[in-house]
Amino acid sequence: MNFAMTEEQALLTATLRRFTEKELRTWAPEADRQAQAPEQLFSKGGDLGLFVDAVPEDQGGLLDGRFEHLSRALRGLELGRGCAALASLLECNVEPALAIARWGSPALQSELFALMAEGALIATAHDSEGRLRIEASERVQVSGSLSAIPAGAKASHLLLLTDELVALVPASAARIEAVETSGWRAGAWASWSFDDHSLPAEHILARGPAAREAREQILSWANISLAARALGVATAAIEYATAYAQERHQFGQAIADFESIIRLRDKNETAIRAARLLVLEAASLADRDDPTAVDHASRARDLAGDIVTRATIDAVQIYGGYGFVNDYPVEKLMRDARAFEVLHGNAAFQRVLMRRQGDN
Amino acid sequence: MDLLHNNPMLQGVRQMMHAYAKSTIRPIAAQHDQEESMPWELMKSASMMGMSQTALLDTNKGALGQAGAGEVSDDKPKTMGRLQIVAAEELAWGCAGISLALAGSGLACTPVARMGTEEQKAHFREAMKGVDDKGHVKVAAMALSEPSTGSDISGLATSARKDGDHYVLNGHKQWITNGQSAAVYVVWAQTDATLGRAGVRGFLVTRDLVGLVPGRKEVKLGIRASETAQVHFEDCRVHESMMLGHKQPSAGLGDTKKMLDSTRPVVGIQAVGIARAAYEFLLERIRGWELHGTPMAGHQHIAFQLAEMEMEIEASRHLCHRAAWMADHRLENVKMASMAKAHAARTAEMVTSKAMAMLGEEALQAGHPVEKWYRDAKIFDIFEGTGQIQRRIIAKQATGLNAT
Repeated sequence: MNFAMTEEQALLTATLRRFTEKELRTWAPEADRQAQAPEQLFSKGGDLGLFVDAVPEDQGGLLDGRFEHLSRALRGLELGRGCAALASLLECNVEPALAIARWGSPALQSELFALMAEGALIATAHDSEGRLRIEASERVQVSGSLSAIPAGAKASHLLLLTDELVALVPASAARIEAVETSGWRAGAWASWSFDDHSLPAEHILARGPAAREAREQILSWANISLAARALGVATAAIEYATAYAQERHQFGQAIADFESIIRLRDKNETAIRAARLLVLEAASLADRDDPTAVDHASRARDLAGDIVTRATIDAVQIYGGYGFVNDYPVEKLMRDARAFEVLHGNAAFQRVLMRRQGDN
Repeated sequence: MDLLHNNPMLQGVRQMMHAYAKSTIRPIAAQHDQEESMPWELMKSASMMGMSQTALLDTNKGALGQAGAGEVSDDKPKTMGRLQIVAAEELAWGCAGISLALAGSGLACTPVARMGTEEQKAHFREAMKGVDDKGHVKVAAMALSEPSTGSDISGLATSARKDGDHYVLNGHKQWITNGQSAAVYVVWAQTDATLGRAGVRGFLVTRDLVGLVPGRKEVKLGIRASETAQVHFEDCRVHESMMLGHKQPSAGLGDTKKMLDSTRPVVGIQAVGIARAAYEFLLERIRGWELHGTPMAGHQHIAFQLAEMEMEIEASRHLCHRAAWMADHRLENVKMASMAKAHAARTAEMVTSKAMAMLGEEALQAGHPVEKWYRDAKIFDIFEGTGQIQRRIIAKQATGLNAT
């Protein structure tokens, strides 16, 4: 076993770290206040090869050969350090592109890949609470509403995952309303509501048991990326808190030197490092088509969700009063932390249900 | 030790305050949170209802938000501490930010009530009369914290230099509740750095004094209905008659620290109020919630988390009541007050955090009650002595040492 990065991975990490520190961290505070991503995110993100990195090269994208979840996880660790909301936009096209490539018809592929190559975003939503009604007689009809979908306000299509169905739904089929969120504020969240929308057959990627299998795959890709980005946010929180604790003096010493603060930081760092290994292993297993990748990915998101919540709360604690105000970066991180564990369904609860059903 | 049972007065206060919180505070909580605005209308009506900002100057019993420890000389136990605890839980259940806005002036009233001369009290009362130029009820501010003086309040940098029969104040205050809007400030400043803590004195500074410059309002994570701002003093001349206890040797920060100690059970129970609000919301939602045909409450994964919340809320409430009961019986309660505050703050964090996770995507939306309570809860482990400071106090009571 070799834990070292390849040259390519080290280069990727270094490039994204520069992007994170130079651009994302500069944009993040204002993007959060305005609840809007800056336009440059799309041009500069595009320059870095994001948005179409999972679209095949011969279809206008950049993917030459197999998509690598391991590289994406390394990328998530860096982008999460910059801004959770902006990272979510930069990453949103991956699941749809991979799903379309695997389960989409050639016609659907050429239609949607062409759109993505022109800059379209596609959101992903999992109906984990069974809010939608799917009726499948001769046509498949969808009705009901999904409440909060990141990138949903900017997306041309939605990759919809349910118990019965995996499908791509165009924005024209839904009533879309922008949703203001507490965290990931620049993430272009929206609710999508359907009134007995009839899905054309070519937009359906899978139905029945095949849909459940496809959903499991797609969620495992999402889980890996979400876990990596969550750990990026947690890393940022502890980095900021560490720097602050060294500056801040109380009772005649830097607060970084109080043992309670040392331990608070250290525990978080240990957790982040351990979870990083888990998410990288999940990604590596996914890249090798190992059947345990799904389970690893779900464990990774469950763990990373807990860690980012804890780390961001502790970072605010270390900042004290300064942690509670918007002039300093950590209160945003505390708000941003919460989407990771609940997006596409509560990670812990999903695991409990899955194991109870003996799926594992 | 009586909590609520067999005490009709406490039960009555709880019922009254709960009704008030439910009908008056809850309906406007989300709006003031999202707009980051003070609930001026509510404060006006509260003041007309007799929840006066300066009542304690007359009664010397301690204001809402202050559990006065051991103030009376007769042997009969007081109920003031417990009354405040009961009322504060209900108000914070309504909205922690609004409850702090209602109680904010009390922070400044307490030192005036304790240490002020009749002339100073009259001056304070006069400044608080009527409405300000925006038509708002008058509020007061206690200006103690500074940019580099948070947990460690011994190193105040704001100076008060004697010049004839005046003191000249210079410095910056931070985290000041009502800091932008106050009609009168109680400002803590160092009169003689060579005396250390003993040189620290409190001054009554009315808003009209030249050199008092209300600063920027902070944009906060939570308790956003309560105004927090910086306050600057630039050669602000205050007459010596406005120095608290000016004819006595300084009690320094000793009295201030005692005051902070006495607020801890109240701050703790406010955190309990938030936790309870989130727990009740969750319980209500889960009762009507089915997942793929199974009732949500039938899942151990959900039910045991609810049990955990209920346990911690009940334990925290008992600690707060115990600390207030001790104060009412003039028993030393420093350790109990710290335990109550620290435990309740953690409880509020745990309950609101778990509730958010259990509610899932709905609670990610801005202004969702549970999301708001999650943001409101965090400050309770920071202000009025951080969780770390509380643990230091508790441990020192046990070991006699100041741990670093």
